[in-house]
Amino acid sequence: MIEEAAPLIEMPEEALTPREHRLERGAAVLRWGAIANTALSVLVMLLALAGGLRLIPDLFPTLHAALLARVAAPDDAAIAGVILLTQVNISLLLVLMVGILAREVWALVGVWLLALVNLAAVAVFGFTPALLTVVFAVWSGIVITRDTGAFRLNPVMLKELRGRMRGVRAFFVLTVYLALMSSFTALLYLVYIPVNRATGSAAAGEVGRVLFMGIVGIELVLIIFIAPAFTAGAITGERERQTYDLLRTTLLPSPSFVLGKLESALSYVLLLLLAAIPLQSIAFLFGGVTEGELVLSFVVLTVTAITLGTVGIYFSAITPRTLTASVRSYSATLIGAFVAPIVASIVLSVVRTALGLSSPIIEAALVYVNDFLVSLNPIATALTTQELLINRQVVGFWTDTLASNGSTIPRVSPWITFTIIYLVVSAVLVVLSIRRTRKVEG
Amino acid sequence: MTDLIIETQDLRKRFGKFDAVNGLSLAVPAGSIYGFVGPNGAGKTTTMRMLTTLTRPTAGEAWVAGHSVLKEPRAVRRAIGYMPDEFGVYDDMRVWEYLDFFAACYDIPENNRKRLIDDLLELVDLTHRRDDMVDKLSRGMKQRLSLARTLAHDPSVLILDEPASGLDPRARVEIRELLVELAKMGKTIFFSSHILADVSEICTHIGIIEAGQMVAQGSMQEMRSQLMPHREILVTVRDADTAEKALSLVAGLPGVVNVQRLDPRGGRSRLRIDYTGDDEGVAAINQKLAAENIAVLGFTEETKDLEAMFMRVTKGVVT
Ligand SMILES: Nc1ncnc2c1ncn2[C@@H]1O[C@H](COP(=O)(O)OP(=O)(O)OP(=O)(O)O)[C@@H](O)[C@H]1O
Ligand SMILES: [Mg+2]
Repeated sequence: MIEEAAPLIEMPEEALTPREHRLERGAAVLRWGAIANTALSVLVMLLALAGGLRLIPDLFPTLHAALLARVAAPDDAAIAGVILLTQVNISLLLVLMVGILAREVWALVGVWLLALVNLAAVAVFGFTPALLTVVFAVWSGIVITRDTGAFRLNPVMLKELRGRMRGVRAFFVLTVYLALMSSFTALLYLVYIPVNRATGSAAAGEVGRVLFMGIVGIELVLIIFIAPAFTAGAITGERERQTYDLLRTTLLPSPSFVLGKLESALSYVLLLLLAAIPLQSIAFLFGGVTEGELVLSFVVLTVTAITLGTVGIYFSAITPRTLTASVRSYSATLIGAFVAPIVASIVLSVVRTALGLSSPIIEAALVYVNDFLVSLNPIATALTTQELLINRQVVGFWTDTLASNGSTIPRVSPWITFTIIYLVVSAVLVVLSIRRTRKVEG
Repeated sequence: MTDLIIETQDLRKRFGKFDAVNGLSLAVPAGSIYGFVGPNGAGKTTTMRMLTTLTRPTAGEAWVAGHSVLKEPRAVRRAIGYMPDEFGVYDDMRVWEYLDFFAACYDIPENNRKRLIDDLLELVDLTHRRDDMVDKLSRGMKQRLSLARTLAHDPSVLILDEPASGLDPRARVEIRELLVELAKMGKTIFFSSHILADVSEICTHIGIIEAGQMVAQGSMQEMRSQLMPHREILVTVRDADTAEKALSLVAGLPGVVNVQRLDPRGGRSRLRIDYTGDDEGVAAINQKLAAENIAVLGFTEETKDLEAMFMRVTKGVVT
């Protein structure tokens, strides 16, 4: 997964005030940080490849010692971890960069938090590449903290939330949503109990788990439908109401506009997710569900909402009409998260049977491609993550044994790769939407 | 030469093969009320969209408040308040929220916004509608609210696209009075209109555009003298003899181009004097007649209104 987002953002060509100038400098520093991290992760990947192909002897232990010294894991797992963590840093740097340009308060806090967390990663895990991020985050933090007054509540978000929360509509939607979820849960329970009796095994844990998975599943499906619907009209709606030009003649920065739209839609979706947590907790009454599952399911749900919301924003930015934007958002989601991975995994299984279990390298490659495909789809990710959690007690990294020659390879629970891929896609789409809204018609 | 606050040089905008604006050179002096008049499709809106940085010119340059619309769009945006020809409504907003939102977009600190909103509402006389929903306002009120919005960041130039269109006569007068008031506050007002009466009553300058080209522009005075080479004075006297006497007296005066007897009306004789002098000259003619004991029943200057001027320049294309 090569990071491509960094060069995408173009800085506004004209800074008016010292304040704007400072914010742009702070954002530019983070962009350099993202570029530096990209270079670093490419370098580590090349070295890992060289080590894996035995081009350079004993490279893995050296890399492990240099990059993640304090983590006692197999060398290859440690190196995979370094690459993933670097990707996380790149995504966070990009998100914060956009946040600074949009003058979001969370960006100001986030920059320092990022520096702190990375510093801790160096101290605790010996994750030395984090020093790169520490340097850039602190540098940017110093630049922007000199003018904390520049950071404010996003006016677009405020406006949208005022409108969205007014009257009964918002609460009507919430009520319908909760009613649907509750009746679904009840239905699931009523259907499942007799089935369970018939088979004779009446383990309460089993009931709890089925309920939990059912609720999370329906929530995922709802989010997949709701998130793009909330955002696909965000920018086209302004065009249709003829308010878009008004906004563009103000001094509102494009990043504020795009992020404000996204934040307001997501905060509502988040409200829906939080409202369903009590329902999920019913599953606890039956046992069989752990807090880990609750947290991970929440992460997958939130990340799905963020990314699909961003897909809606993106198509809203590049399309003139809301209807077209919605159709395109759903089509893109359907193809990117469902059709393409499913078709690809069918092809993959055909390839696997055709090749047989000949070479360990091919087998490992197929395993990784399959993991990648699982990580493209939120539902597959949720199921696989839970399966790993229950059957192998795996939350993050684990070691798998190849069938062909019995050697081991490092693997990651799909929720991690899913989160990274989806957040990077979001960051790229946000940046593209900003560029689009900044453009003056020719 | 006075300071120009809006200036364009050979501005062009081409849509496909069609030149919507074709080599326009505008000159709007600071502090003026500039009426930008032209028939439908003349290119007024297109010009304004280029001045407000919403559309990039195909060729040429434009400066607003000393900033190039091409190179310093943000500085231009800070200097202008723009009201498009379509009123953009957020249907789910209250009047004060509407202003609060735009003030925030102009980065006005929250502490100052409440005062600002009160002042703006007072200025456009909407204080009593502060908490109403925007889409419940009448068209005239929306237009005034829109005007208030353009003032949120205290811009030096207002660019208003047909601020009086679709309003009833009363609302039109209200908008007109507001514009005059704003001009008194030192703002330059550049507005487009079809309604010539509006333009002639409040403008200090006008520009007439047709088919993307400037046909004539300048101060009202200049325009009058340019388009109407002489003023016309109508003198009414009791009978034909007196008229003859007056005619021979006036004919020799400096500045008088032509004197002509008109058909008598209501039993009274009339003369039309074509005169190129200034106001003092007009007064002097009147006095001269009185000094020669010519009994004058009426002495009026025919004001050639803008309508005639406009029809003449645009060859009657206008609606
Ligand atoms: N985006 C566009 N694409 C193609 N043609 C356009 C576009 N915008 C304007 N035009 C054309 O340019 C010409 C000038 O339009 P413009 O809106 O500037 O006129 P106007 O003087 O404002 O007219 P009105 O008095 O009707 O508002 C018209 O013929 C119009 O059809
Ligand atoms: Mg127009």
